[in-house]
Amino acid sequence: MNWQKSFSSRLSLFVLLIASGLMLGVAILLGLFSSSSIRQVSRNMAQQHLNRSILEIEQVITEVERAVDNLDWVVLQNLDDEKFLYQVTREIVQANPNIVGSAIAFEPGYYKGRKYFSPYSYIGDQTHELRSIQLGNEDYDYPTLDWYQIPKLLGKPYWSEPYYDDGGGGQRMSTYSMPLKDEDGKIIGIMTADISLDWLSDWVNSIRPYRNSFTMMIGRNGSFIAHPDSTKVLNETIFTVAMDLPDTTAFQLGKDMLAGKRGMQRFSLNGKDSFMVYGPISNGWSMGIVNLYGDIFSSVRRFNMFLVITLLLGLIGMFIGCRNMIRRLTMPIVEFTNSAMTIAKGNFQAMIPEVETQDELKKLRDSLDYMQRSINEYIGELKTTTASNERYESELNIAREIQMSMLPQNFPQREDCSLFAMVQPAKEVGGDLYDFVDVGDSLFFLVGDVSGKGVPAALFMAIARAAFRFIGALGLPMREVVRRVNDCLCDGNTNEMFVTLFAACLDLKTGDMVYCNAGHNPIVLIGPDGKSSFLQAKPNLAAGLFEGFPYEDEQIHLERGTRLVLYTDGVTEAERSDKVQYGEEKLLKWAAGLNPLTSSHAAVQDLFAHVKKFTAGADQNDDITIMSLLWK
Amino acid sequence: MNVTITEEGAKALVKLEGRLDTTNADQFQKDITPLMTGTHQEIDIDCTDMEYTSSQGLRMFLMLQKTVSARGAKMMLRNMKPHVKEVFDITGFSHIITII
Repeated sequence: MNWQKSFSSRLSLFVLLIASGLMLGVAILLGLFSSSSIRQVSRNMAQQHLNRSILEIEQVITEVERAVDNLDWVVLQNLDDEKFLYQVTREIVQANPNIVGSAIAFEPGYYKGRKYFSPYSYIGDQTHELRSIQLGNEDYDYPTLDWYQIPKLLGKPYWSEPYYDDGGGGQRMSTYSMPLKDEDGKIIGIMTADISLDWLSDWVNSIRPYRNSFTMMIGRNGSFIAHPDSTKVLNETIFTVAMDLPDTTAFQLGKDMLAGKRGMQRFSLNGKDSFMVYGPISNGWSMGIVNLYGDIFSSVRRFNMFLVITLLLGLIGMFIGCRNMIRRLTMPIVEFTNSAMTIAKGNFQAMIPEVETQDELKKLRDSLDYMQRSINEYIGELKTTTASNERYESELNIAREIQMSMLPQNFPQREDCSLFAMVQPAKEVGGDLYDFVDVGDSLFFLVGDVSGKGVPAALFMAIARAAFRFIGALGLPMREVVRRVNDCLCDGNTNEMFVTLFAACLDLKTGDMVYCNAGHNPIVLIGPDGKSSFLQAKPNLAAGLFEGFPYEDEQIHLERGTRLVLYTDGVTEAERSDKVQYGEEKLLKWAAGLNPLTSSHAAVQDLFAHVKKFTAGADQNDDITIMSLLWK
Repeated sequence: MNVTITEEGAKALVKLEGRLDTTNADQFQKDITPLMTGTHQEIDIDCTDMEYTSSQGLRMFLMLQKTVSARGAKMMLRNMKPHVKEVFDITGFSHIITII
């Protein structure tokens, strides 16, 4: 998929990125929030488990204590009845499922002078049958044992540390011992009830708030009363276990438990992040439940994984849906593009697909449609314009040919003179003109410049040229020729067109030249010695302005080898792009640098080239005419 | 070509600035139309800042001169630069237009 080229893919990806970002943000926030609240909830839950379990165990303990305490007076009243004493112990064990053994151990020598007398009933470890025996003998000297000695010394009930009883029960147990006192308050024996630590261990094993949680109970000195690992019971204390843990907080935990504190402690259990809730039990023991955070979060993690997968699937679905939808919505754009391409390739009638909506696409479609219609209209106009332009152009070309044919090209081929002239109009047609006629030894020639340029000037030029051809042939004096031409041009000249002229007649034998200047630029004289100067001439007035203006002619005698250069102001006013004009000075300089023997043809072309070089590509702004006449 | 016309009673003061050539002759003709159609008795044209005039321009001055003369009014061109004046001289226009 090319992302750069598909708008729908790019937009969908954009939406997808935004959605992913938002979801990621929400997920992170949720994760952070839920993680701390889950910790809190899990602690609370563990705490509740602990409290409930402590309540339960305390209930058991109370029951056990009560079973013994309640029968105190029965024993004291029936001391004589040996059988009955046995019966009492049996009753205690039978009536209380939690009690695995019960004894009434008398002080040595108290009961009928016997050294040991202790009726004892217990449930055998293997057989699970209730048996009764007399516990004391030389091998089992009970008055020296903790369960007997400590309550006797304390003078009050006492829960023994866990121990393995090899007297009767043959199992690990803890014993509740209550001193029996006679009327004088003297201790005459100890009445006991045993609870099985194996049973306790089984019971605590069932307390599991989380899968790998475990519960333990410790006695007053830290030894395990119950532990899921039953080998630890009796054999280890919480401190020996804590010593093996790298985390020293476990040790402090043990101390706090011994001190009967209640609380919660986070610690590392063999590298696993765990916490323990703990609290004291009424008989001086302490219970703790260890929980692994890993357990707690494993379900959360499973849920998170599920969430992530769902989100991913959702995002993929959204992307596909988005892309298809955008693609469908933007389909007209693709069609418009195709239409636009078709139009651009020149098929201006290409169909632009319709859209049914009233939105931006509709606007786009309308503007495309408008563009197409405009283009078609414009092309229509352009065709018409081009056609008419072509017509004008061809007409102008014809006009140019006609005009050029008015300017004689058959320059006289004579030994005594070299004549050449050239017109270069600024537009197709121009207002400059030249003419010459040689009759015998007389050479008549003129250069003229009609005001303005283009077609109007060309028409006026045609009139002027025709007038000269006609009037010049009458053999009149030069001034009269110009006067009549002027009158002819003034006739009906409402547009105030005019033509500046320099007309002359040279006697090729004598070198006498009669000339008349009608407002024209001064012509250049180049003597046989190569010296150049402007021919001084009366300006009179440009022709075509005032009927009857008294034009006057002048005379000059030329040396052989003299060259005349006639020109129009297109030469001196030729401009460079910076508006600097060629000027008269440059013209004189050029003239001075010209080889006096150069043919007129070459001289004219040289001056054209010189002017062209000067203007350096700038547009020609006026018609240029140059005529050179060398009298040899 | 910049044409500024100010009126002082029956007198029109005209200031010309720049070049008058084929490209702007038509515009110039429009600019001076008020002088041709007006009733000013005296038209004083200041040519101090006129840089150039083509033959087309000369034609404009001539038309203006003829129109102004026809209604018996006077027209004069002042302070013409030498190279501009030369054009008027060469073509003989100095004979028919008052240049001072």
